[in-house]
Amino acid sequence: MKKTLLSVFSMLLVIPLLAGCGTTSKPATPAPSDTASSQKTYKVAYIARAQSDSFAAWLANSVKDEAQKYPNIKLEVFDGQANDDKENSMIENAITSKYDLVIVQPNSGESQRPYVEKVVNAGIFAITTNARISGIKGASSVDAQPYEQAGVNARAALTQVPQNAKVVVLQGPSGNFHADERRKSWQKEFFDKRPDVKIVGEQIANWNKDEAMKYMEDWVQANDKIDAVISMNDNMAAGALEVVKGNPKYEHMLAYGVDGTAEAMFLIKEGRMTSTCLQNANELAEKLLDSSNKLLTGKEKEINTDIGNPLVNKDNVDQYIEILKKSGTIK
Amino acid sequence: MKEQVKLRVSKIEKSFPGVKALDKIDFAVKKGSVHVLCGENGAGKSTLMKIINGIHQPDSGQIFIDEKPVKINNPIQARTLGISMIFQEMSYVPEMTVEENIFLGNLPVNKLGSVNWKEVRQRTNELLRAENLPYSPTTLLKDLTISDIQMLEIIKAISYNSEIIIMDEPTSAITLKEVEKLFVKIRELQARGVSIIYISHKLDEVFQIADEITVLRDGTVVESHPKEELDIETVITLMVGRKLTTTYPKEQVAIGEAMLQVENMNSPNVFHDINFHVRKGEILGFAGLMGAGRTEVMRSLYGLDARTSGVVQIKGQEVTIRNVRQSIDHGLVMLSEDRRRYGIIPMRSVKENTTLAYLKKVFYNFRNHKKVEKTIVSDMLAKMRVRTPTMDTPIASLSGGNQQKVVLAKWMIRNPDILILDEPTRGIDVGAKFEIYKLMTDLAREGKVVIIVSSELPELIGMCDRIYVMAKGTITGEINREDFSQELIMKYATGTLTSDGVN
Amino acid sequence: MSTGNNFWTTIKKKYSIYLILIALFIVCSLANPNFLSVNNLTNISRQLAVTTILALGATMLIISGMLDLSSGSVLALAGVFAVSAYKTTGSLFIAIIVGILTAVICNIINALMISTFKAPPFIATLAMLTVSRGVALLFTKGQNILQLGHFTVLGQGSIGVIPIPIIFLVVIAVFTWYLLNHTRFGRSLYAVGGNEEASIASGINVHKVKYTAFIINGIFVGLAGVLFMSRVNAGLPNGAINYEFTALTAAIIGGTSFSGGVGTVGGTLAGAFIVGFLDNIMNLTNVDSYMQQIVRGSIIALAVIYDIHTRNRRANSMLGRIADKGATKK
Repeated sequence: MKKTLLSVFSMLLVIPLLAGCGTTSKPATPAPSDTASSQKTYKVAYIARAQSDSFAAWLANSVKDEAQKYPNIKLEVFDGQANDDKENSMIENAITSKYDLVIVQPNSGESQRPYVEKVVNAGIFAITTNARISGIKGASSVDAQPYEQAGVNARAALTQVPQNAKVVVLQGPSGNFHADERRKSWQKEFFDKRPDVKIVGEQIANWNKDEAMKYMEDWVQANDKIDAVISMNDNMAAGALEVVKGNPKYEHMLAYGVDGTAEAMFLIKEGRMTSTCLQNANELAEKLLDSSNKLLTGKEKEINTDIGNPLVNKDNVDQYIEILKKSGTIK
Repeated sequence: MKEQVKLRVSKIEKSFPGVKALDKIDFAVKKGSVHVLCGENGAGKSTLMKIINGIHQPDSGQIFIDEKPVKINNPIQARTLGISMIFQEMSYVPEMTVEENIFLGNLPVNKLGSVNWKEVRQRTNELLRAENLPYSPTTLLKDLTISDIQMLEIIKAISYNSEIIIMDEPTSAITLKEVEKLFVKIRELQARGVSIIYISHKLDEVFQIADEITVLRDGTVVESHPKEELDIETVITLMVGRKLTTTYPKEQVAIGEAMLQVENMNSPNVFHDINFHVRKGEILGFAGLMGAGRTEVMRSLYGLDARTSGVVQIKGQEVTIRNVRQSIDHGLVMLSEDRRRYGIIPMRSVKENTTLAYLKKVFYNFRNHKKVEKTIVSDMLAKMRVRTPTMDTPIASLSGGNQQKVVLAKWMIRNPDILILDEPTRGIDVGAKFEIYKLMTDLAREGKVVIIVSSELPELIGMCDRIYVMAKGTITGEINREDFSQELIMKYATGTLTSDGVN
Repeated sequence: MSTGNNFWTTIKKKYSIYLILIALFIVCSLANPNFLSVNNLTNISRQLAVTTILALGATMLIISGMLDLSSGSVLALAGVFAVSAYKTTGSLFIAIIVGILTAVICNIINALMISTFKAPPFIATLAMLTVSRGVALLFTKGQNILQLGHFTVLGQGSIGVIPIPIIFLVVIAVFTWYLLNHTRFGRSLYAVGGNEEASIASGINVHKVKYTAFIINGIFVGLAGVLFMSRVNAGLPNGAINYEFTALTAAIIGGTSFSGGVGTVGGTLAGAFIVGFLDNIMNLTNVDSYMQQIVRGSIIALAVIYDIHTRNRRANSMLGRIADKGATKK
């Protein structure tokens, strides 16, 4: 029986190997670094909140790629699987394995706070990112602010959304920090200031394009017009737009998202999407590795920095497409 | 001391749906005696013991311990009354240790309710030493033999200070040497004043160990005597001695050439040296007691179970049968013993159950020929006199007898050459039984072969042309119709008699 | 139990699901004026095409006593591979073949674990769910594949007024109906699910039946994957999460019993539409997200309880089929 179990497992393992062949070329392995030279190799742990949501995956990939540029840094990525318990255990494991620096992308900040504090108390450098956990003594942070990411859209929308408009809202997963913050931002920066605007549909589409499509189809049925789609991320906005694609009645419908995915960029260029906020994972990764290097080599003791929350719309989309092309995100 | 009655049951009755298992049983066990219960399959031995052990409740009657009336509602209560039972088929947890097993359900706890393992260890060690057993309290059960585990069960019974120990077919799975060990133990227990109720059909052993013997038949006590007043012949007669009142629809039929020949079939630890033959037009019986291996032989022949060796010839040609489909294609079909498990698809209709083994008669040319199916099925159901509201009724709603007839119909549709029937009339009413007997005769008349495995001696004697008797996994005797007698069959079945060169 | 009673209860059992469907249809039409439009009903059909195709595969598997918890993940894997193939070759045909092949391979592995190695279907397909999702994420590095061009015609296009996904659904439904009612394979599915040991003893090649069932399921899942990605116009490695549960819900509501041996195409379609109507009316009337989740969960609980309650069963649930008792020696 054990032999047969073994053969089953080995057969199952063949699939990922086959799939691995399909991935794009692997980055070149860095030249061996710990020689008699003065450079010491530092072990850095990057604990992602999840690998399965596309932004977290993008960020993790960027961090990995960026780390290749630093011969003195050996970076390992860990997957918190969108689960507080798992992520916390991984932080503890990193302490036990004596990493020199730990970067934490929290699943929900307050849950990870005591564990990041443990890291600092163990004498290990700690950086929190996306979103930062503020107020931990001795820890650094590199961030993008979800409140601001939605906010830049919301403020622009103030003047763009027509009077007495009927809008629909697409939310991220319930209890998710980014989803909640962005929604809060829209509420404060837009809905509170525009009481004339009516929300005719609001549902949780879990960041997913297909779920958003289903809701949008039903909303289009239920309402004679929809003036704007307000989405907490680009995937869901793209889903809503997919439904009304080519429909002249919705040619002037506004659409707002967050993330700055390649898909959103193209939609904005085509004039179908109004605006998004670029959450540039490449820039985040750059800053993360740069900060790590500075901390590890003793140049700084504590760093707190932000990446921008640029609003991307028709006016500047071309330049952002260029930026993303240069960094390899858009191929 | 020997004359005191420890356990007495009076006028115990017990019925299950469709069958009266025990009919006014009076039975008494003396203190410190080994009392053996004998009887055929279905005589009621196990049922009576389960009542004494609290697993079943009698419909009426009384149980007395030390002449005081008691009610035994469950095995735990039985245990507190001093009764333990060692079962025929023991299920156990392989990863459990000896000490855990002994004290299962009886772990000593301290005031706070947590287990006192020190006490468990100590008492286990004492018991093991007192019984001179070579293993340790931490040995895992999976590392012990069946005989060892049986010994453990006995130790458990001792640890409960049981005064009545019931052993149900204790020697069915152990070697001769281990049987001797067991008997030594039984003698020891006896000396301590423990009463033993011992169920067995192995008459040679019975006469070694028994003080008293009670014979059950068809749910009643036939007779009860001290061992000295009986011998094996008499016990056999008592076990089977019933009047054969039913007339069976048996006809004289021309016997043709060999239809089936089985040589040298073996399956390690299941059966060995199986050789038999059947000729066209014969009805062949297979008799034997529980554990003899008859069903196993048939299942192996039919392709359901594997075997290591054996040459099978059908109509003179050697055939390979490795699965059921091959068997059916060679004209060999089997009606299995357990209808619920191997016979019917309960929630599907009578119609679907009937055509299940011959689907290509219904599904061909890329479609389902519904009319054809209806015709075939209604013809067959009429022929077999199956009573059902419609052919689309789920088969589970039919009575046992009608279900059995539908399963038979399934096989008859294939017009088989060899039909094996394993306990075909068990649990069905008299009318349906008779119809099945008639069917067997019809088949014989057409030059087909029927092999019937049965525990009902009257049925075998009534219907068969020849009977092979099996015991302990091999054929011990072959009897022709003119020599049929229940006693003779039982002698072969209990291993009292064996003939060499059975073919 | 009188036999006459049984006949009528069988009839009631057979048709009650359609009565519920019609009743629900009427209630929804009254609850919201937008429900009863051609556009809306077409939308509903298009929305449920993918999960219903999965449900038809699930129906076959449950009838034979198995199930597939991996269909949503395998769908995503197959779809992602298909999209990739399309972007590389520009051929819709090749893309569809790749998608189907991927799903079929995954399902053959399911069959290997379940039929040959006797793993419980629940656990085996749960493992496949995790592995296939992992492979999809690995292959795409967690990112969506964009710019599918003409690939979207399958999920978004129509032939005349009928959306293409619905054509796929109808063809697959008819095919499944044909299999179940007009082939030896179909009859054997019911037998194996109803009593596997009796089927073996009746000469049915149970291995062949199980492998075939999974392969056909694989074809369905592969097609569903192509349709799904085509509809959302992206290769989503994270797509179709939990679709297998929607598929199971439709099958169970439609009268497919977890104890095996029972189930129909019509019933499953009715079950799918019942769920589809409910989802739609809740959206049209703006029922809150959390409430929708509660309603959906309650329906499946009710369906399972109804299933257990109305069937005369031995303890024969899918999980319990792991235990194997040896026959007693005679």
